[in-house]
Amino acid sequence: MPRYECEFEAEVLAAAIQSRWPDRVDPALREHASKCQVCSDVAVVAAAIDTAREETRELPVLPDAGRVWWVAQMRARREAALKAARPITATQLIAGACAVGLLGACFGATSAWFQESLHHLATIDAPGLLAQHGALAAGIGAVLVLVPAAAWLALRKE
Amino acid sequence: MTFTDVSRADAISAEAGLVMDEESFRAFYERNARSVWAYLARLTGDRYAADDLLQEAFYRFLRAGSAYESETHRRNALYRIATNLARDARRRVLSHPVGVIAGDDIEKVAGRQAAGSVDQSADVTRALSRLKPRERAMLWLAYAEGASHNEIAEALGLKPGSMKLMLFRARRRLASLLGKDTR
Repeated sequence: MPRYECEFEAEVLAAAIQSRWPDRVDPALREHASKCQVCSDVAVVAAAIDTAREETRELPVLPDAGRVWWVAQMRARREAALKAARPITATQLIAGACAVGLLGACFGATSAWFQESLHHLATIDAPGLLAQHGALAAGIGAVLVLVPAAAWLALRKE
Repeated sequence: MTFTDVSRADAISAEAGLVMDEESFRAFYERNARSVWAYLARLTGDRYAADDLLQEAFYRFLRAGSAYESETHRRNALYRIATNLARDARRRVLSHPVGVIAGDDIEKVAGRQAAGSVDQSADVTRALSRLKPRERAMLWLAYAEGASHNEIAEALGLKPGSMKLMLFRARRRLASLLGKDTR
């Protein structure tokens, strides 16, 4: 069964990271590493990654901490505002569902009266009635179009 | 910064739901940004992706809203976020390939920066890019950041008990790829 670690591993690692490996270390440690797979791997890998790290760390032009902070602030606020708006939407949905239910219940309660009224309307002379109350019909029509349009515009601005 | 400024900054932080005040964040950023960038660049192989992911990592860290026992825990949390972001970015690249191969971009730029050690740097970059992303992350944290087994496990979301074996295997693989197989 192979060994996964070695008691000298830390010593080899320190030497590799401090660029002392292999020339400026105790010969006994070098001798040990030549026979120990864990230590020889640590020496090779640590030295290679340390070189890569030094080069990579020099590359970035990092954004200023203050800029990152304020961008985070702005994003957090925007997300907080969206989150705060979510319960209102849920409440609106619940209210809408309640209104539909209420309308349904009212319709059920008055359906006999409603059917009777429809039957009555069928017997009415519609063109004659419209000519008689044209202004009122136009007013009701205008309200039915303008009120939803105004409500939509107001909500869209928000 | 005056007391009023500090209170105002704290109020803004609280309003935005951020866990740190500006001064602590600046200090934390200055201490860690460069290392996290290097980590992200090595994991993704794309320095432009690393630029974006760095800011995202710090933002998510701030938004996490967790209280940390120590600087080490705080740092591990940041690396864990960075690891997840790099993994997601890699998945995106795999599902919508745009011709970026892990390590290529970094290799070119690193080569320009340090002309004296181009060959060695390119070898290391190529070898690293042939490792599995998790192996790359593990080795980078262990040997570039000097993280302990527990810290690596915490940052990568792995069990600490399995770290020794996993690290051993990853190290073995990289050593072989570097052509220094000592068997």
